[in-house]
This record gives sequence, C-alpha cells and structure tokens, in this order.
Amino acid sequence: MKKQIDNIWIGQKDLTREDDFMNTAEKEFAEEQVSFADMTSNLSGNRRDFLKFLGFGLGAATVAAGCDIPVKKAIPYVVKPDQIVPGVANYYASTFVNGGDFCPVLVKTREGRPIKIEGNDLSPITGGGTSARAQASVLSLYDTNRFTGPKLKDGAGWKDTTWVELDKIVSTTLQSSRNIRLITNTNMSPTAKKAMTEFTTKYPNAKVVTYDPVSCSALLDANQKNFGTRAIPTYKFEAADVIVSFNADFLGSWISPVEYAAAYAKGRKIDDITKAKMSKHIQVESHMSLTGSNADNRILVKPSQQGVAVAHLYNEVVGAGVSVTGLNDKAKKALTKIAGELKSTSGKSLVVSASNNVNEQLMVNAINHALGNYGATIDFSTPSYQRQGNDAELKACVEEIKAGSVDLLLVCGANPVYDSAFGKELADSLSKVKNKISFAQVNDETTDLCDVVAPNHHFLESWGDVEVKKGHYSLIQPTISPLFSTRQAELSLLVWAGSTGVDVTKEQPYYEYLKESWKSGMFGGQSEFSTFQSFWDSVLHDGVYSSGSGSSPSYASAEIGSDITKPSASEVEISFFETVHMANGQYSGNPWLMEMADPVTRTSWGNYLAVPVNFDGVRTMVGLNDLVDGDLVELTIGTKKMVVPVVQQFGQMHGTVSIALGYGRTQAGNTGSNVGVNVNDCLTMGPNGPAYYNTSATVSAKTGKEDDFSCVQYHHTIGVKGIDKESGKEINADEAALVFFDYFTGVKGFQGALTDRSVIYTSNVTELKGRVEHLQERRKHAQHLNAQQIYGGFDDMYSLGHHWGMHVDLNACIGCGACTVACMSENNVPVVGKHEVSRHHEMTWLRIDRYYYGDVENPNTIYQPMMCQHCDNAPCENVCPVNATNHSSEGLNQMAYNRCIGTRYCANNCPYKVRRFNWLDYTKADIWPANQPRLQEESVPFMADNLTRMVLNPDVTVRARGVIEKCSFCVQRIQEGKLTAKTEGRALRDSDVRTACQTSCPTGAITFGDMNDKKGALHAKLESPLNYIALEEINVRSSVTYTMKVNNRDKSLDA
Amino acid sequence: MIYKHLKIKSIATILFMWMTLTLSAAVSADAGKELFKNNCAACHSKDMRSAATGPALGGSQARWADDVALYKWIRNSQAMIQSGHPRSVELWNQYKPTVMTAFPKLTDDEIGSLLAYVNGVYDGTYGPKKDVAAGAGAAVKTEEKSQLPLYLIIAAVLAVLALLLTKIISNLNQIAAAKDGEYVEAKTISQILTSKGVVTFLIFAAIILGAYTTVNKATELGRQEGYAPDQPIKFSHATHAGVNKIDCQYCHDSARRSKHSSIPGTNTCMNCHAAIKNGSAYGTAEITKIYASIGYDPATNKYIENYESKTEDEIKAIYTKWIGDEYKRVKEKADLDSEGERIVSTQWADIKKSLTNDRKKQIQGPIEWVKIHNLPDHVYFNHAQHVTVGKLECQTCHGKVEGMEVLKQMSPLSMGWCINCHRQTEVKFKDNAYYANYTRYHEELASGKRDKVTVADIGGLECAKCHY
Repeated sequence: MKKQIDNIWIGQKDLTREDDFMNTAEKEFAEEQVSFADMTSNLSGNRRDFLKFLGFGLGAATVAAGCDIPVKKAIPYVVKPDQIVPGVANYYASTFVNGGDFCPVLVKTREGRPIKIEGNDLSPITGGGTSARAQASVLSLYDTNRFTGPKLKDGAGWKDTTWVELDKIVSTTLQSSRNIRLITNTNMSPTAKKAMTEFTTKYPNAKVVTYDPVSCSALLDANQKNFGTRAIPTYKFEAADVIVSFNADFLGSWISPVEYAAAYAKGRKIDDITKAKMSKHIQVESHMSLTGSNADNRILVKPSQQGVAVAHLYNEVVGAGVSVTGLNDKAKKALTKIAGELKSTSGKSLVVSASNNVNEQLMVNAINHALGNYGATIDFSTPSYQRQGNDAELKACVEEIKAGSVDLLLVCGANPVYDSAFGKELADSLSKVKNKISFAQVNDETTDLCDVVAPNHHFLESWGDVEVKKGHYSLIQPTISPLFSTRQAELSLLVWAGSTGVDVTKEQPYYEYLKESWKSGMFGGQSEFSTFQSFWDSVLHDGVYSSGSGSSPSYASAEIGSDITKPSASEVEISFFETVHMANGQYSGNPWLMEMADPVTRTSWGNYLAVPVNFDGVRTMVGLNDLVDGDLVELTIGTKKMVVPVVQQFGQMHGTVSIALGYGRTQAGNTGSNVGVNVNDCLTMGPNGPAYYNTSATVSAKTGKEDDFSCVQYHHTIGVKGIDKESGKEINADEAALVFFDYFTGVKGFQGALTDRSVIYTSNVTELKGRVEHLQERRKHAQHLNAQQIYGGFDDMYSLGHHWGMHVDLNACIGCGACTVACMSENNVPVVGKHEVSRHHEMTWLRIDRYYYGDVENPNTIYQPMMCQHCDNAPCENVCPVNATNHSSEGLNQMAYNRCIGTRYCANNCPYKVRRFNWLDYTKADIWPANQPRLQEESVPFMADNLTRMVLNPDVTVRARGVIEKCSFCVQRIQEGKLTAKTEGRALRDSDVRTACQTSCPTGAITFGDMNDKKGALHAKLESPLNYIALEEINVRSSVTYTMKVNNRDKSLDA
Repeated sequence: MIYKHLKIKSIATILFMWMTLTLSAAVSADAGKELFKNNCAACHSKDMRSAATGPALGGSQARWADDVALYKWIRNSQAMIQSGHPRSVELWNQYKPTVMTAFPKLTDDEIGSLLAYVNGVYDGTYGPKKDVAAGAGAAVKTEEKSQLPLYLIIAAVLAVLALLLTKIISNLNQIAAAKDGEYVEAKTISQILTSKGVVTFLIFAAIILGAYTTVNKATELGRQEGYAPDQPIKFSHATHAGVNKIDCQYCHDSARRSKHSSIPGTNTCMNCHAAIKNGSAYGTAEITKIYASIGYDPATNKYIENYESKTEDEIKAIYTKWIGDEYKRVKEKADLDSEGERIVSTQWADIKKSLTNDRKKQIQGPIEWVKIHNLPDHVYFNHAQHVTVGKLECQTCHGKVEGMEVLKQMSPLSMGWCINCHRQTEVKFKDNAYYANYTRYHEELASGKRDKVTVADIGGLECAKCHY
C-alpha cells in the first residue's frame, strides 16, 4: 500500500514512535540518570578513607599552589625566512590527489605547519569547492602509523634500513628480474608518467598496470570504441534539463564529485521564484545513494536489472530492439515515459551510468548521441583523466602472478590485495613473486605482503603535477619539509632507472626534474610568459594552469554486444557501494573520515547492512526478517558468511539490501583496522571486471544486538511529535520540561502547544507559488505569536556595527559532508570513537540532519546543515548559572570555555540541540589517563600524540573535559577578517570573513556575512521569499536562515 | 532582661566588625593622578624629573610660562608646532620624530588637575617621592605598606574602645539589674574575651579572611607581574632602546602585523652586530653568543661555511681565539696573560651554558630566550590590533622598557587589567573607515551627545573578543 506522509520524518523510529526513541528525544542527553543513592551505594569507604582523601586533596592543593610556574621558552629563528611572520598564516596552492580523487587546494600553514585545506577558487574545474576527503587529507600527514623511513621485511615486522642500502638491494633485484610489474591506481601526473616511462625504457620487461579501486573500466572501454580515446568526457550537469543516472553516484563518489556537484547545484538553485526552473534528476538504483537521495525521482530496479533498464531506455530512445526481459513493470513504465521526455529535450539532457559492463556503457553513449548531448551537455574536447584503470590489464597481471612469471612487483599508491576485485587471488599468489616493493606511506594489506618498503611522501610534502583534463594542469608543492625519512616514489623510480635527468645531489631532485619537464612541455604551449621562471612562478602561485582545449573527436557507432547484466530471480540481491568518506578503504586510516557519518545512513565507524523498510501506514513496521536498527545478522554472500549490523534504510528497494565498500580492513593503522566487514571479495565477476552487486545473498534473522550502534540518525533530533499519554492529543514531544501548573506542583510536560514545528519546508517546483504563500503565512503566524511575547527584541542593539548571520540554501546542499570535516579541522573538534558515538557523544559542531518526506517507500530527501543558530534571544544563555555563554553585540552566541562549569543546562535548553559536552578528555587537554578514551585500543590515545597535535589550529582553544562547546560562527575568522579591514582602514568586505563550512562547500550552499551590510552577498540572499527560520515560532531569533527545499518530482513516474 | 543584654552585646559586635571592615577599604585616588596614569605615564616619567620617551614634566608650567599655550600644546602638540610657537618648535626639535599623542578631549579642569599633580610630585608636596618608574600596581603596594602601621594602631585603639564599651555596657547592665533587684555578676575582661560571642566572631572573621585571601591568591596563581628572569644573553633594553633609541618595532617587527610581537631572529641582531663586536658593558662576553648561534666569524667578518656540521671543539677554537685577541687588543698586550686566559675560559663556559640545554646539545642554532609575558592558552591576544589599529605605545603595557637593564614584566596581564583598559581607552574612531558602520556613534559624536567611543562601547568587553 502506498503511503504518502505530508510531513518530514527522520527514520523508522520516528514514524513508528518507538518508545526508546521518544524517550531520548525528550531529553538532551541520552544517558540514564544516575541517582545519588546509586552513586553512593557503589562507594565503599570509611572515616579513614575520607581522611586520606582529605589529606591528599589538601596536600595536592598545597603542592600545586606552591609550584613555580614552569619556565617557558621563546625560541626565534636563527635566520628568519622573509615570508614567515609568526602568528600569520601562509597559504600555498597545491593539489589534493589520491588516485583518481582530485581537488585543487590552498594549504593553510602556520609557522611552517599545514593545518587546514581550503579550496582553490582559481580552478576552472572545482571553482573552490572541496570534498570531505580533501578536507581530511591534512590529518593523514600527521598519521602516527606512517613509515618513518625505508624498511625491509623482517619476519612479521619491519626492520629499518637506509636509502643507500635499499637502492643497492633494489638495483640488484631489478637487474635479475625477468618480468617487472608496476601496479598503480589512476595516475594523472604527466611528469610521474614520464618518470615511469624512463623506468620502463630502462627495464623493457617492466610494465605499468593501472586499476581503480572502484572500476570505471567499462566506461573507458566504451569511449575508446566510440571516440577512439580512453578517457572520460566532461559532463556538464548545469546544462542539462533532464539528468538520468543509472546507479552513478556522481555527487558523492563517481569520478569527479566536487566538479559535478558544483555544476549540478547550478541547475537546482532557485533565484527568482516567478521564473522557477530546475533540472529534473532521475536516479535508477536499488539502494539509496547520496546522489539518489538528491534526485527528484528514483526508479527502483534491482542491481541485476540495471542492464535491462539501460537497454529499455536505449530501445525507447534509439528505437533499437534489444531484448528486455526481467525488468520490473513500474520501472519499465517510468523509463518509457522518461524516454519521451528525453527526446523532447534533445541536447539538454544527460544520461550517465556507473555500470562496469561495456555493452551497457555503449548503449548509454548511443543514447546520449541520439539525444544530441555530445557537444552540448557532454564535452569531449577536454577529456578527463580521473579514471584510467583497466580491469583487463589487472586481470592479466594477476594471471601472470598466479603463473609465477612475475619476478618483481612494485606497488605504487595502490592496495590491490584489499581493494581490487582480485584481492584474494593476489593475496594467495603473491608469495610466487620473488621480490615485492611497496611505496606505501602507511602499512596496508598489500604492503604487508611485500619485502621492501620505499615509503613515499605525503602529498603535502611532495612536488608534482596533475593533468586532470586535457590542457588543465595543477601543481603540487610541498608545504612542509618531509616529517620522516621518506622519498618521493617518482624519485625512487628515477633513481632506480638511473635517469640522467635527475641529479640526486640536489636538495630537491624531483623538483628540478619537474621544472625541467614543464620547461620542455607546458612552457612551450603558452605565449603569455616569455621566460620560464615567470611562467613557473605564476603557475605555482595560482596552482592551476589551463592551456586551452583541443577538438572533440566525433562519435563513431560501435557494435553493441548482447552480453549485458542478466536479471536474476534471486530473492535477495545485495549491492555494494562506495561512500563519500571511505571510498574503497583508501581513507579508512583517517579518524576524521572514519567518524564522519555517512550522509545517507548516518552511520559511522563501520559498514551497516541497509535493509528495506516496510511501513504499513499505521505506525507499525514489518521489515525484512523483522530487523530493526542495530540488530546483528548473519549475511551470506556466495560462500562467505559474516556478521553485520543492520540499519533500516528508506528508499532501499524491496528484495535488495546494500552494504558499503571500504571497511573490514586488516592493515589500516590504528583507526581503520578491523572496523566493519570487507565485501571486496563478494563482487560479481564479469568477463573482464567486477560488477558491484551479488545475487546470491541471504540475510538471517536477528542473531544479536550490536554493542555500540553508532548511527547518529536519532541523536540530537528536533521537531519530534508524539502522543500525550493523558490527553491522547498530538503534542510536541521534542523536549520534556518541568512545567509548573500552579504554585506548588511541578509536572513533567512538554513546552509549547505547537506541534507544527517549522524545521523544514518543501515544495514541488510546479506548486511553488502556493507553497511560498503557505510559507509566508506560517512565518507571519509565527511572527504574530512572537509579537505577543514580552521579549522586546532589542533589534536596535544589533543595528550598530556587525550583525553576523548565515544563509543555507537547502536546494544547493547535497549533504556531502565536506563542511562537517572542514569544521572539525578548523575548530579542533575532537574525534571520540565508536563507543562514544553510540552514547550520543559525537562532538561535531556542525551536523547534517537528513529528513525524508513524501512517499514512504520511495521518499525524497532533504539535508539540513544544523549548527548553532546564534539566536538573538537565546534560551541557552538565560540558563547558564555562571554566564559562560552569553551574547555579543555582534549577534554571536559566545562560549567562554574557561568559565563553563559543565552544568549542561544550556544544552538541555537548546531547541536545535547543537551544544556538545566533553564527557571525556577527547583532546587530551588534561592528564588523568582514566578520562582519555581510546578510539581503537591504540597505545597512545589519538590526539595525545605530539605528531597528531600538529594539526591543531593554534587560534582555537583546545577544550578540556567537562565543558560545553558549539559552533562559534568561526569567530577566530571573524576577528581575523575584522582586523584585516581595520589595519587597511576600510570597511569590511564579504571576502574578509568566510567560515570554514562556507569555503569548503562545493555547491556554494552556505553564505555567511554581516546582515547589516546592505551591499553584501548575504543581504541579497536574505531577500528570497523561499527563506525561513527553523523553529521561528519559538521566538529565539535565530541568525541562520534556510530556504524551502524545492523538488522537481514527477508524480506520474510513481504510478 | 537577658534579651536586652544580648542585644547590646550584638550591637557592640557589629560595630566592631564594621570598624574592622572600614579599615581594609582602599585609599582614595586623585583626579590628576588618575589622568596622568591613563594618558601620560606611558611616555612621561612618573618622578617628573627624568626624561623618558617624552620630557620630564616637572616644572613645565614654569618653562612654558604661558598657560594658554601649554593647554593648547597638551591638546594638540602638532598643531602648535605647525603654527610655529617657539617653545613648541624647540621641544619638537629635541624629541622628533616622536609625536606626542593629542588629547583634544581633556577639559581645562582636567589639565588643571593634571598640572597640579605634576607640580605636587615635582616639589614633593604630593605622595611619596620615591615612586620611580614603577607601574601602578607597585605604587599601590608601597602606599599600602606605608600606611599599615597606622591601620594597626587604629585597629588596636578601636579594639580597646570596643572592649571598654562592652565593659561599660556590662557594668550598666549590672547596675540596671541591681536596680531591679537582681544580681548579675560583673564580667571581667577575660570573661568577655572568652565569651561565646567574641569567640564566634573571631572564628567567623578568620574564616572570612582566610577565604578572601585564598580566593585572591588562587586568582593570582600563574600571574607573574615583576617577573624578570635571567636570559641566555644579558641583553639590555636600556642600551638598545634607551641609549641607542632603536625603535621597538625594528626588532619586534611582527608586532604590527601579527598576534605575536616575536623575538627577533639572530639574523636581525647581525644587522648591527656584524659591525658592533664589543658591548659597552660586557665586551665580547655577550655579543659572541650571537656569533656562536649563527656562525659568524667576527675576526674575518664572514659567515662560517658549513657551520651546522662543525664540532664543538672547532667552534670553541674560533671563538676563544676571538675573545683572546680582543682582550689583547683592548689591553694592548702581545700575549694572553693569566687574567686573559681566565676571561677566555669563563666567557666560553658562559657561551656554552647559554646556548645549550638538555634538549639542545649543540651550540649552533637558535637562542632560547625565557618567555616573560605569558598568557594562558585560552586567551587570544593580538599585537597588531593594539599596535597598528589601536596605535598604542608599547610602553602602555610593557612599561618603560627603554630604561630596563633586565626586562621585567610590568603589568599583571590579568583579565581585570585588560578589561579596565578596554573601558577607558578611546577607539581611534574617526580616522579609520572600518568604523564607518557604527553610524549611531558617529551621529552622537557629531551632535556632542557622546564625547568618545571606548573599546567597551564597540564590544571590547565581550567574551569572544579574546576567548575562542
């Protein structure tokens, strides 16, 4: 039965009003109240103990008071570099690259330490946006698990060696090896490729094998056939009116999400409601991907039906007669209708597919060609090199290894034992390879099987270049001298190749090599600069350089084979997907990313089996095997059995389940090892490469309950409604409070009779006019209510000077989570670990609430970034007994940590639930070991290590245990921006103050500024009639404005 | 009757308490002194007799003769100089380019009381004369000390009085009781002193006093006013900033653009000390430490190649030779005598001690100065804000550094001290376009409704200005 819910909901527990959820929603803190009697009953002691404690206390206090203040040193430079002013940050343009992941960045350094990643506005590709992965990359520089120098295998462990020694060993090995294979992930660096070519020229029996952890091989092969070039075109999502994506998570993880998100959001923002127009996005998938959650319509097809779904659309658009059997009727009907729409918007549509089947990709290409999209929404004149993997090559290489014909294997920036589809075979047969050399920075599953480690620099210590698209270059420059005795992999290859182009006696040999490469290459292709030095300086300063695009190859039709994904009759199918934070395990060693909640399932620290939700429409659930959140089940895929926790996922197709890739690593440092389960060995193998699903999956009934269910979905909820047990009426059940009905009796009740809380407003683009009127009425009503209250507003107080405010465009927000990681990085927000997350103790200042609305079985999704709203009539401020949180004249809700005594009244009184309490010593600011939680049994707690602490922002206080913290609107940036304006003696500009979340956002959803600045960008945004204030009716006078979420859902496709 | 008895007793007790409390109240402040402290003390010496950044103020009224001109000068000295007033030009020639801060807001009365204070101090009719170059805190302390015996005497007198009164009351009570036909035994002094009321009061007073002291001392934990540690180099600010008049920001060049004022790198020292190789006070003893840090050979005027990799003996050879040669040159001796050898070895030992420690084993490398001005980690302070935007003199917070042989922390650097200054200090409001958006203040200033905008007025007392 179809059930349409008018309002938003958070998840299953919200819809069913499950008791434990309703109980926690009432309270700010999930903890069970411990009564004083309970506390004292556990204490055993007598008068003697009391005297002992008293004596110790007095003694300790006396000693502490009598201690001399420690002598602090101020150590200046011997020769101070001109460009460094202690206390002032320097920014260097560089590029974040990890395999095919790419993001031009500015690296913020303080006193020579990189501490923050910002987007590079000059990049024509990303336009200054970043991803969570790029934001977190600075933390991996200070990873305590990094190799400290060259190593040789010594039993199960490693022994130190020197580079000279290592070079000697390797060169002997190289001379004596018959077949040499160099396995890498996508490599976009022209100069690194040049180095590899030098290597393969010197050793003709060497071959480079490239693969991607999540394969795009079929797409590349199809393009090779149709366009004669094995590359990926530039997709112009901004130019498309209709976007059809077959399982391609282009906003989260597919090829170039930062670029695509920026382009996509352009077609989704509504600037003028009278001329509201937005692209229509249809996602064909079985599990709720990040991209699917942003789509207007999702067409549910099982993973095994993806092939026929593409074929059906192909038939409808091109008029071909590929046989289509096994596609569900609903999808078939919807696709037929979409085909008609696509044809009517010829040249303004875009069809993409993540399929790893060449024939399906050829059909997609044929569809795009037939629709006239090439040259319009798809540009082949600037092909992208962000995916270069070739499954066939890898397969051949694995076969060779299995046959024992490879003598030397070099693994450079790849971890095929874990993340390739042939991982298990490789692991079993690597012993047949005589010598194995890894360039890994941190030990991983592949490196663990190697004999020699020649550790590479981190990208923030490296020189390098990137040709992300044809003619679009970025440079990588070091921002810190190497922390350890590592050597750039390219240099190692050049040294072993005995290259004449590299002079190892130089201080930075690879830098010279790179410059030489640019001098002979890119310098010749430009005419702006006459000398190389000026050209080089300019590119290094900007970080990016474009030499202009070439011509587009024309489409040549190719024969489409009949081998496409075959629909299966299996009862349960499972799909495997890449998440926005873990990728395929490349980032699992990074604590920030590990703790970041997946935007859709909102789980962290582990991969959860997403099972479909069955809702009977009357608040009861009949789910798959009656499973609910946090249940443990036995999942069997083929022959592999594993125990996984379950999360109920709206929008997950019935008859399918899904689970994320990238977990269950065994060698990923302290953070990433043994978290979740590895499903890379469960992929379905096609003729050449893997497909990311499996049809032989069975899910058992509940076998247990997960101890630490770390899903932040139901933490910190706002606007929850419930039924009052006494009156039976629907009430606002968000937070219980002690209400005094008369002078003597305090009764637990719920504040406010308003059940219709304005958390989210939604509209379909076709109904926009009416919905905006509705919104305005609601706002007027709220303002009317507010006017009845005695609070005067004091608006005149904020009219002087600055009045800081923020605008969040929910139509641009795709929920990617870059802002949440940027916030952690900027504000020294601690990582707390799985157990603490399960206890609602995550410390994120900025969370992204995910809400569903509409069709229960196939809902639409809204992402709402929620941070301190800096209310001008803030409920938290009134209840602080020590005035630790109070209001500034600039409209900031200030938090003085050293004044806070930790009563947590403020958090209890916050309607948005954005205040976080340091239950334990997460940042290791105090010295009692018992207060220091471990993330993963590590010997030194994360953040207690001096290396890790180098990432801290010196302008932001590191909070101790027992205090409340929350979003400060990046007050350190506000103060810095104001000072810049003051020293220059001019008015403050928008560009002076930009918060960390704002600069990280790939789609420009967040605008921060001075509400008093009538000419500022924020003021323009505040004019939109789509704007509303969350919980406006409670008169807290929030400084954050959201926009109504508008979708373009085509209801006829649901029929 | 017993009731009445008690009442009189408790009144006496309260009286006694009140008197004790009054004794601890602060001394009253004089308007001119306050003004001087806030506006003038940064540049003008407090003894009114010695010149500092600005001239000694004692006797200025006599030197100027013309009060109208002097008042004008105080309000805006630059205008006077430009108008060509002879005394003004004379002073300018003496002190330029140091510009005296303009004080257009000072009223005639205020200047009058200022001058009264100056004259008072100068001719010794006002306050203690020995209050030389000390900060406000020190001044208060000396006053407290000088008046303590007086307080003690008063307290003793009052205590005796209270005792006598109690005795009289008790006697009166006895008489009153006798009149009523009752007999109440007269209390002896010792009985009164050991009575419940007095003992309770004393315990109560002791607890209050103890708590008060504990809280105050606890608040002051970590403050280091007057902190003047030994430094690895006996660097004299008096020589550099005082005698040689080197601008503070020549060495502390980050102060104008960064949160830190920064201690200069050794290369900054070398700008002058490549040429100045002998110190006025210590000869080669201290300056050689700079050379040993950076690797400069003063004998050849060249930086030493590969200095980083030199052994300690090699370094020792270079610099002991230099110290010895200088000794011979100065003493005009051909050979190093025993005195010379002693000097060479003690100086070298001191160099080694100053440039090495447990963590830093080698002589080469940075000089590890002892940090004097320490703020807690949760305080954000920015020098640029105060120096560049606020245009404060360094001396306002750091005291008369140019007079210090050994640098000493002059201010408590406590929050109360910061806040107090923020309350009093006027924002350079009109000259900076940044403040244009404070339209209401500008209007009020123009209409005369407001005479100044202090830092506190634009939010300078708010938590998140310094704590985030």
